Amino acid sequence: MNFQAETRCIGESNYGGLVEDVRDISELKLATERLEQFKMSLSAILDTLPSIIATVDRDGRIELVNRRFELLSGVVARDAYGMQVETLLPQFKDQLHHVKEVIDHKVPVTHELILHRTVATSRYYSLHMYPLISENSSMAVIRIEDISEHVRIEEIMAQTEKMSMVGGLAAGMAHEINNPLGAIMQNAQNIERRVSPDIPANHVVAAEVGVSLELVRAYLDKRGIFDFIGHIRTAGMRAATIITDMLHFSRRGEARFEKVDLASVLDEVLKLAASDYDMKKLYNFKNIRLVREYAADLPSVSMIVSEVEQVLLNILKNAAQAMAGSGQTEAPHILLQTTLREGMAVIRIVDNGPGMDEVTRVRIFEPFFSTKPVGIGTGLGLSVAYAIITKGHHGSIEVQSQPGNGCCISVMLPATSLDVRGGVS
Amino acid sequence: MSGNADISVVLVDDNDIVRECVGAYLEDEGFTVFYAVDGEEALELVAQQLPTTCISDLRLPGMSGEAFIEQAFGISPVTAYLLHTGSDYLLSDTLRSLGMTPEDVFFKPIHELATLTDRIRARALRRGATV
Repeated sequence: MNFQAETRCIGESNYGGLVEDVRDISELKLATERLEQFKMSLSAILDTLPSIIATVDRDGRIELVNRRFELLSGVVARDAYGMQVETLLPQFKDQLHHVKEVIDHKVPVTHELILHRTVATSRYYSLHMYPLISENSSMAVIRIEDISEHVRIEEIMAQTEKMSMVGGLAAGMAHEINNPLGAIMQNAQNIERRVSPDIPANHVVAAEVGVSLELVRAYLDKRGIFDFIGHIRTAGMRAATIITDMLHFSRRGEARFEKVDLASVLDEVLKLAASDYDMKKLYNFKNIRLVREYAADLPSVSMIVSEVEQVLLNILKNAAQAMAGSGQTEAPHILLQTTLREGMAVIRIVDNGPGMDEVTRVRIFEPFFSTKPVGIGTGLGLSVAYAIITKGHHGSIEVQSQPGNGCCISVMLPATSLDVRGGVS
Repeated sequence: MSGNADISVVLVDDNDIVRECVGAYLEDEGFTVFYAVDGEEALELVAQQLPTTCISDLRLPGMSGEAFIEQAFGISPVTAYLLHTGSDYLLSDTLRSLGMTPEDVFFKPIHELATLTDRIRARALRRGATV
């Protein structure tokens, strides 16, 4: 590009100069074309990058933005030019405020994990500001990334790690506790049987020591001994159930997978829920409006039916309990929805209850984490659900919720077939 | 309760209390019960008694419950072998090849001992049918 040559040539009016003029003009045209082409490919590059990009001056006025910036801000590049970047991206106001310092100190600044919520979603962003490398420029480049997926995967990984640790712990603990627990439960059973009139040996031994079994039984009954023994058995059973539940965190077990229709499983769960004592008496389940939206084209899903039923019933119970205890004015309803997404059968259970805050949401699958009063919940329900779905069924389970905005739990199960040992075939 | 006297059971567990409380139930049920604290002792009992059923703990001092069953099967293939375990356990291919199924594996603590005696009788019936 030689602009000086152009000026010089125009001043001369001889024939040779004219030729030179023509050549120079065509050179100019070529140069302009190249410049245009360069600009085009530059903006194509900027638009191709999966980041939100803008360049701004010291006062935060926009010089250039890429396509993703337009999409996020809702303003096209032409209109964005010269506008305050903080005005266009008010959600990043706190971070963008520092653009002056970035330019003045010529030091890049990074903000990770900026949470931005709308009514429907929460997304995580990272924001980087770099001083433009140029002698006489006082500009900065702003790059914003949507890192929600990355954060989600990290969350899943942390959860998996936590669960495998608990699994190891549970297996070790179960092994130590099972023998004494067995002794408690089984000896309570033995005691009941050793005073039972149904076992002939009892009569024989009673006669040997000179008592009648009937009188022994009458005494034990009158002193409430049978009740005590019953309590020992019930308490032992409850402890054993907790241990069995915890073993889900590690148990490879004998899986009894069968291919079933998801809709019929969900209907069965609704039946179970309707007949559940707590659901009837405490959570007023029949007052909840149930909406079923089952996908028609869903293939049958391989699962251990009783386990998936346990998971879904647990989620329903939590939803019903949350709504019953919240004193909400809105009529309670639960949506049960099934869809097929990327080879996974997705079950969504959406309630319009009180929802939960972020602190609760990230801990919800932790064993022994419970928002319920001590004695009401063990805090194992959802952690067992997590183990059953992720470990047992190679699926995943996620929670979306915000305080006051209900809760949506999604259970994803592979729509491909699983063999009897639980591996994907 | 009667009619079970024909059924003999070898119960293998190194834990005294487990032997005592499971054994008491089995005896009340009318079974003839023999006790062993490890695989070596149990092998001798199996050779002597050729029992209807043998219930073995998985984790034993010395040879494991699995190894014991494999050897005991060589001595008495007519015996029905059951495993009683406190740990997470998946039936090995060898034990499957000896005819054991997941229904023959009992996880401690057995909530209702009748499930164990039901299995003992079911296996005894099968033996009656095949022998």
